[in-house]
Amino acid sequence: MTTEKSWLSRNKWLLVVIGVPVLVGAWWAFRPEKLFINQKVNEAAPAALSGEPEALYTGKLEGSLHQTSGRATIYNTADGKRYLRLSDFTTSNGPDVHVLLVRSDDKALNQEIIKDKLDSVELGSLKGNQGDQNYGLPAAVDLNQYQAVVIYCERFHAIFGVARLEKF
Amino acid sequence: MLRTIKAGMGFAVLAAAFALQAPLRAQDSMKQDDMKHDKMMQDDKMRQAGAKTLFTGKFHGKVHKTEGRATVYQEADGKLVLRLTNFKTSNGPDVHVILVATKDAMDDADFLKSDNERVELGSLKGNEGDQNYEIPAGTDLTKFRTVSIYCERFNANFGAALLEKF
Repeated sequence: MTTEKSWLSRNKWLLVVIGVPVLVGAWWAFRPEKLFINQKVNEAAPAALSGEPEALYTGKLEGSLHQTSGRATIYNTADGKRYLRLSDFTTSNGPDVHVLLVRSDDKALNQEIIKDKLDSVELGSLKGNQGDQNYGLPAAVDLNQYQAVVIYCERFHAIFGVARLEKF
Repeated sequence: MLRTIKAGMGFAVLAAAFALQAPLRAQDSMKQDDMKHDKMMQDDKMRQAGAKTLFTGKFHGKVHKTEGRATVYQEADGKLVLRLTNFKTSNGPDVHVILVATKDAMDDADFLKSDNERVELGSLKGNEGDQNYEIPAGTDLTKFRTVSIYCERFNANFGAALLEKF
């Protein structure tokens, strides 16, 4: 007992020589303090984007019965006007097709034919069933609520395509 | 009399059918009027400085919670820039931003184990906040479709975003 104790105390330097590099190595590898320390940055957008409309929300258009594809993005212009832009857009052509904003939790979005009245914000008649196009948004629309873009055939109450918007 | 009524009804049916069918057949020629107009609108409003959004995707990561959006812009001179926005991941040692040649990054870390090609974009500038990374000229973004926040020291994927056409 006494001899062991004395060996350890006689060789304390050994503990230091081995222990310290091991600790330093472990620290270097895992950098545990980074669990608590955040490194925040805030770079500006690429210079070419400054002054251009800022993308607020985006979502992919989907529709199976009337095949619809493309992207719907809502932009905010420098003077505060918001507009919806469809890009890469294709849907089937039809009679009296409109572009609407609908609440994203509206159960009607799961139907292909709407039976009840659809709670929506009208953005206008679809300008074309193919190609890039813009639609102005009424100033009062609350985009926290109306977060789904719907391509809607008013005559037959048919949903051609839906895009659920996500924060850009 | 009956024949006239029949003929009239037939004509009406044909006219109605035409009214319904015509728009179904005709591809509205967006390429002409509307498209031109929209193109102008777009040119006026969006392309003044010439930046173009090419791809975008949302980050996901389970073990190291990662969130935010990755977007690839092309500047007027053709330079490609990757921008992370609303970005947050866990801090760690030797973390890099890389592009990986995968179709899908949903399998989380698996895409790092295989012999998938990578493009290095640089050390992660910060684990929180908006940041930009230059993409080397000539990088084929239809091939390198996944952005990974990659801890080089432990070959670990903190989070990944699949880039989709904007």
